[in-house]
Amino acid sequence: MYVMFLLMGASLMASLIFLGAYIWSVRSGQFDDKYTPSVRILFDDKKKSKKSDTENDSGINEEEKK
Amino acid sequence: MAIKFDQYKTGHSDIEKSESLNCFHCGDPCPDKSIAVGDKIFCCHGCKTVYEILNSNELCEYYDIENTPGVSPKKDLVSERFAYLDDELIQEQVLEFSGTNVNKVTFHTPAMHCASCIWLLEKLHDMDRRILSSTVNFPRKEVSISYAINEMKLSGAAALISSLGYEPLINLDTVGKREQSSAEKKLYLKIGLAGFAFGNVMILSFPEYLSRVGDVDPVFKMVFGYLSLVLSLPVLLFSSRDYYSSAWAGIKSRTVNIDVPITLGIGMLFLRSAWEILSQTGAGYLDSFTGLVFFLLIGRIFQQKTYDVLSFERDYKSFFPLSVTRKINNVEAIVPVSKLLPGDRIVVRNQELIPADSVLLKTGTMIDYSFVSGESEPVSKDAGDFIYAGGRQVGPTIELEVIKEPSQSYLTKLWNNDVFNKPRFSRLNKTVNQVSHYFTLAVVGIALAASLYWLQFDTRMAIRVFTAVLIVACPCALALSSPFALGTALRIFGRKGFYVKNTEAVEALSKVNTIIMDKTGTLTKSQQETIEFSGARLSREEQQKIKSLVKHSTHPLSRKIFQALDTTATLPVTDFEELSGKGVQGIIGGDKIKIGSGSWLGMPVEEIDIEDMKTRVYLHINGQIKGSFLIASIYREGLRPMLAKLFKQFRLILLSGDTEREKATLVNLFGQEEDLHFRQTPEDKLNFVISTQKGDTHVLMVGDGLNDAGALRASEVGIAVTDDVSAFSPASDAILRGENLHLLPTFIKMSKATMSVISASFIISILYNVVGIGFAVSGMLSPLVSAILMPASSISVVAFTTFSTSMRARMMGLS
Amino acid sequence: MEMEKFRYDNQIVRMFFWATVVWGVTAFLVGLTIALQLPAPVFNFGTSWLTFGRLRPLHTNAAIFAFVGNGIFMGYYYAAQRLLKARNFSDTLSRIHFWGWNAIIVAAAITLPAGLTTAKEYAELEWPIDIAIALIWVAWGVNMIGTIIKRREKHMYVAMWFFIATFVTIAMLHIVNSLEVPVSFWKSYSLYAGVQDALVQWWYGHNAVAFFLTTPYLGLMYYYMPKAAQRPVYSYRLSVIHFWALIFLYIWAGPHHLLYSSTPDWAQTLGTVFSIMLIAPSWGGMLNGLLTLRGAWDRVRQDPILKFMVVAVSAYGMSTFEGPMMSLKNYNAISHFTDYTIAHVHIGALGWNGLLTFGLLYWLAPRLWNTKLYSVKLANVHFWLATLGIIFYVIPMYWTGITQALLWKQFTPEGLLVYPNFLETVLQLIPMYWTRAFGGTLYLTGSLVMVYNLVKTVKSGSPVEDEEMEAAPLKPIENEKTDYKHRWLEARPVPFILLSFIAVAIGGLVEFVPMFVVKSNIATISTVTPYTPLELEGRDLYIREGCFNCHSQMIRPFRSETERYGEYSKAGEYVYDHPFLWGSKRTGPDLHREGVGKLKKPDAWHYNHMDNPRSMSPGSIMPVYPWLLTRSNDYAKLPKKISAMRTLGVPYPDGYEDQALGDLKKQAEGIVGNLKDSGIETSWDKEIIALIAYLQKLGTGILPR
Repeated sequence: MYVMFLLMGASLMASLIFLGAYIWSVRSGQFDDKYTPSVRILFDDKKKSKKSDTENDSGINEEEKK
Repeated sequence: MAIKFDQYKTGHSDIEKSESLNCFHCGDPCPDKSIAVGDKIFCCHGCKTVYEILNSNELCEYYDIENTPGVSPKKDLVSERFAYLDDELIQEQVLEFSGTNVNKVTFHTPAMHCASCIWLLEKLHDMDRRILSSTVNFPRKEVSISYAINEMKLSGAAALISSLGYEPLINLDTVGKREQSSAEKKLYLKIGLAGFAFGNVMILSFPEYLSRVGDVDPVFKMVFGYLSLVLSLPVLLFSSRDYYSSAWAGIKSRTVNIDVPITLGIGMLFLRSAWEILSQTGAGYLDSFTGLVFFLLIGRIFQQKTYDVLSFERDYKSFFPLSVTRKINNVEAIVPVSKLLPGDRIVVRNQELIPADSVLLKTGTMIDYSFVSGESEPVSKDAGDFIYAGGRQVGPTIELEVIKEPSQSYLTKLWNNDVFNKPRFSRLNKTVNQVSHYFTLAVVGIALAASLYWLQFDTRMAIRVFTAVLIVACPCALALSSPFALGTALRIFGRKGFYVKNTEAVEALSKVNTIIMDKTGTLTKSQQETIEFSGARLSREEQQKIKSLVKHSTHPLSRKIFQALDTTATLPVTDFEELSGKGVQGIIGGDKIKIGSGSWLGMPVEEIDIEDMKTRVYLHINGQIKGSFLIASIYREGLRPMLAKLFKQFRLILLSGDTEREKATLVNLFGQEEDLHFRQTPEDKLNFVISTQKGDTHVLMVGDGLNDAGALRASEVGIAVTDDVSAFSPASDAILRGENLHLLPTFIKMSKATMSVISASFIISILYNVVGIGFAVSGMLSPLVSAILMPASSISVVAFTTFSTSMRARMMGLS
Repeated sequence: MEMEKFRYDNQIVRMFFWATVVWGVTAFLVGLTIALQLPAPVFNFGTSWLTFGRLRPLHTNAAIFAFVGNGIFMGYYYAAQRLLKARNFSDTLSRIHFWGWNAIIVAAAITLPAGLTTAKEYAELEWPIDIAIALIWVAWGVNMIGTIIKRREKHMYVAMWFFIATFVTIAMLHIVNSLEVPVSFWKSYSLYAGVQDALVQWWYGHNAVAFFLTTPYLGLMYYYMPKAAQRPVYSYRLSVIHFWALIFLYIWAGPHHLLYSSTPDWAQTLGTVFSIMLIAPSWGGMLNGLLTLRGAWDRVRQDPILKFMVVAVSAYGMSTFEGPMMSLKNYNAISHFTDYTIAHVHIGALGWNGLLTFGLLYWLAPRLWNTKLYSVKLANVHFWLATLGIIFYVIPMYWTGITQALLWKQFTPEGLLVYPNFLETVLQLIPMYWTRAFGGTLYLTGSLVMVYNLVKTVKSGSPVEDEEMEAAPLKPIENEKTDYKHRWLEARPVPFILLSFIAVAIGGLVEFVPMFVVKSNIATISTVTPYTPLELEGRDLYIREGCFNCHSQMIRPFRSETERYGEYSKAGEYVYDHPFLWGSKRTGPDLHREGVGKLKKPDAWHYNHMDNPRSMSPGSIMPVYPWLLTRSNDYAKLPKKISAMRTLGVPYPDGYEDQALGDLKKQAEGIVGNLKDSGIETSWDKEIIALIAYLQKLGTGILPR
């Protein structure tokens, strides 16, 4: 039954990889916000249809100047 | 004959929405249909502007996500308001990251409230190309913005989100406090490591438990043992570290807290396991060891319930502005408040806070001290008067000369009081620690007695029994019962708008026997009043005249009357005069009208006194008293039954900063007079609490303002009542939504019920311990018994406490 | 600093889209065929390529790796790019991934009917294809990790974690389970033998279910279900906990496939315990999915996509509850080796995987071709056909499973089996097999309706060009955190040292294990001898024809089984079995004691039975194998086979390669002689001779020779 060593070794190695991933995700702040990401994925990326990107840098400033 | 005017509100309104006239952007009712783009109607030009911005940037998908998701932008919006952010010193405090090309800033924006807000605030770069990216943290109501340095200023970023209705809140407190969660991260790491080790050690331990004797190859046993030992080391050295340090701290201060027996237990578990494995005499108890630490840490997570938008730690800095306009040689410049020195001349505009104790120059004004002193009416001040920091300026721009540095001012000095340096809950010994004291003594006693007994026959056995007793008596279940019971209570409270800072506060709440209450903003609704007129019937014309008169006054009472009168105010006023502390007068359409205090208008003294409980403003037309406007605070709903309930069990005290005006009403509410105290300064309140805390008196303070901060802190439990949770409330142990104040007796009852659940679970876990110790002293504690007994006791205690706590809550109608 | 412009690769999604559709229909079609073969053996068509034994692995491979596999990648390539705000790391890798994966499937579709198989369930493909699978899998992994590295969204949504877990674990499982010694280009022997092989196989087999059919689909669920419902997942926090709990538990549930087998007790119980513990995270995930729709149930009634998803998630909940139950010993005693297991896996495959994939296809088609779904009505028709199909499939199969188990175990008051003849128990199931085939037909019809609907949809639109996106790169904004990791490791030397120590320890372990494994393949029962060359060749034919798909070789220690088959199976009997052939389902009787005791039959019986089973057992549903009688076996590879076996620890003497053929011929002539006595003329090199030799060897290990 020494094959169990192989299976345990392989499983342990995989779970070490996941442990590493877990440590990374805690450290890098993946769990900082446990709500917003679930909303963020709902937003569809929409391509810009008209208007070239450089023509106007903001609609805001003009509004403010009024 | 009395005319009743509808109650009106000066705060944010929740007025029912009528179908046709709701703003397309924010959903507020629109006064008319005049502000419109196509068929879309808006309540104000601000909303229309935001719509136009979104429209021109093809961002109208915003409205597809939710109906009327918007917030109306502040009307007096000017980008100069944020000019102070461009000051280098302030930037240093505000910016989260400053690079060569990019700056990153995180703004707190309480106005965000729905998915559309997230969408819009993350689309800023589509609206303004100088923004590179923006990320929302919705639970914290924060938006992090990265912008190109050479194209945009910090003030521009703030102005951009303000123009969309998401005005950022920037003050001394919100600055530089981003990296708060490092303790939480560490706890996550500890749990992850313990969970990982637990899972794997459990697997490695199974062969030992689940097979018949001699069934498992000795090579397996050896390898599994060593592997478990290696896997357990991080748990020993990292995950369970807090328990050692807490136990050590306890011992140093000569108390035996719950962590002492825990440390003993897990230490013994590990040592004995290591010895068994290394000497190959057994499999050890490492699965129990790792599992125990894992469960204990889970309990820690559970007892923490963080409310991301709330802060329980605010001091005066949270209320004070970041900067102020300083005038030197008639040149105005924006400086950080911390740079103010005595002698500086500062400019304070309408609705701004006075940042330091100072003297008023030139003109007289009104200062609203309600937040500082609890006085509900603004106080008028003349040139040369001394003005305390913390007051809000109401009226035209004033100039002041600073007398004391902000940190040394009258109000902020409150924070120099000793109570702010003492650890919380020092007066209350935690129940768990009381129990654990005797528990530990008993366990060590039993361990010693048992090993002495065995010593007569077998030394090895004596050692084994000694360690086994300490192992099995490790009060895991005991330690878990209070986090889970109190944590459950914490969550139940949270669902009812009662946000408690931590489980200690729940425990402390169960022990209070004296309740002290503030009045303004606590018993009454902040910023809401009723206005009634009593006297002769006023004609429409008279109403017009009155409204035209008060239109010219900035006095808050005038403003209130102005807003309450449902008519136009177009008549010209001549000979207008505003007499400070008395009233206003003027001639309109030939009538001489005076509105003001009774004494000024020559009312008999006794008549004034009778009506003293409310603010009364008299109307005087052509030398004749026509009647009076009665302006009264609105007491919160359900106050009377609540106070009646509390009165049966607690000593009730009122500490108000206000005058005795409403004493009659309050006597009526409280049912007695001797414990009502008025004109209390913040320091009076603090001292009152301290002097009350004698012997067995445990004080619950319920307040709302900065003036209550000291009392809130000094009391055993301080509850801050607020009508808007995202607004600032003073440092406290709990924040309670104003509309749920009437549930206070139930909350206290619930906290007591929770403590009785904990006591019951103590009994259960002690029963487990008796069984376990039975095994241990007879030398029969095998790893399997321990592996079954320990998780079984922990899990059953956790299940019992959570279940019975929520049952109790359900019975009280809290869930 | 500049915003980065990029485009999503929609073409690769469309490629996988069509592959999913095509392979889905194929898998259902093959499934229907083998479903018909059971009640009506005529559907085996009398040709070797289309017998049940060869088509069943084709069906499972097509369903799992072709249909579900392409479904995973379709869903992944659409979701990952959007979740990470980046185009795939490399378009070339994406294309290699697509064409490689589908070439592997084509190779499987050719080799499996051709009888080229390793006999390990869900890992039947031979070693060159195994290597290709590993390479293509890594290509996907590199592509994914590359995309993650260049992502422009800091947070990795939980779905991505499920994809990562899929990649890592499947890579490991596939490599460990596929370790084999090649004999020729299309033939290899498993590195492990007997019990050990079984352990490895079911450690793999169960986890393949977990990490190929479950985790990636949970990832898809967490992305597409909120998208389709237009509301965020019920609790994102729960989904994160769900992920980590599942990851740390799932990997140990495998041995529950071996209850009552010759594996050690503790390994079996380990499987049971962990299977039970899995209910918690699995149901956490299911509830999280279903609760996402709270308040949107009115939309579920109208939207077929949500209907598909809701039933899919419910099916997930059902099968993840049933699975742990089936791993309880007393439950397993009934369900194992019967059609109950078939019902269970089809709840998962048809319900969870199938319906979720259909939901995805309907959701993606309008978005990939910028149009509207051609017909919502037809999608609804499909939904009902599929749901009814599942019901008509699983109910008869549960019924069959329980019937089988009861019939097998029934004793007369005198203590004799009520149905001593296995065939009697089979004949009672035929009506149920027809009903199942009807269910399958409904399901297949539904999928054809979908194909029509999708083709019409696609024709009404045009492929969406890769939409242009822009976002700021993460790096310059996040660079204040670069020194972070190092700081942690420096500040915490103890955990770091420990972790590296563990890694090294495991590495060492892995290095020594193969040695251990080979060494422990030594007989512990003295009477157990290696296969003779002829038996070895016969065994390879047994494998080629897929006999193990219907016949187990594992007699469990129940009285009903020892009464019927003889002495229960011992671990020591299998030490020379590369691979093990225990089987997982008894459509026919167990064969482990076929060569001994009351089950032993004359050589002629086997000869006639293989030619036409119904001539010896009237009513039998076994296919005919006339080609075994006529085809000559090619013994050219025999020396290589002997030497490969010796490498694996089988004690053939040195130089035996050279005399093996002589021994083989001698033994074959003996059988030819026996057949001649019964009036059958044949020659020694016919395939049937080798197969008879193997069948007569079965079970003799515990007898002195």
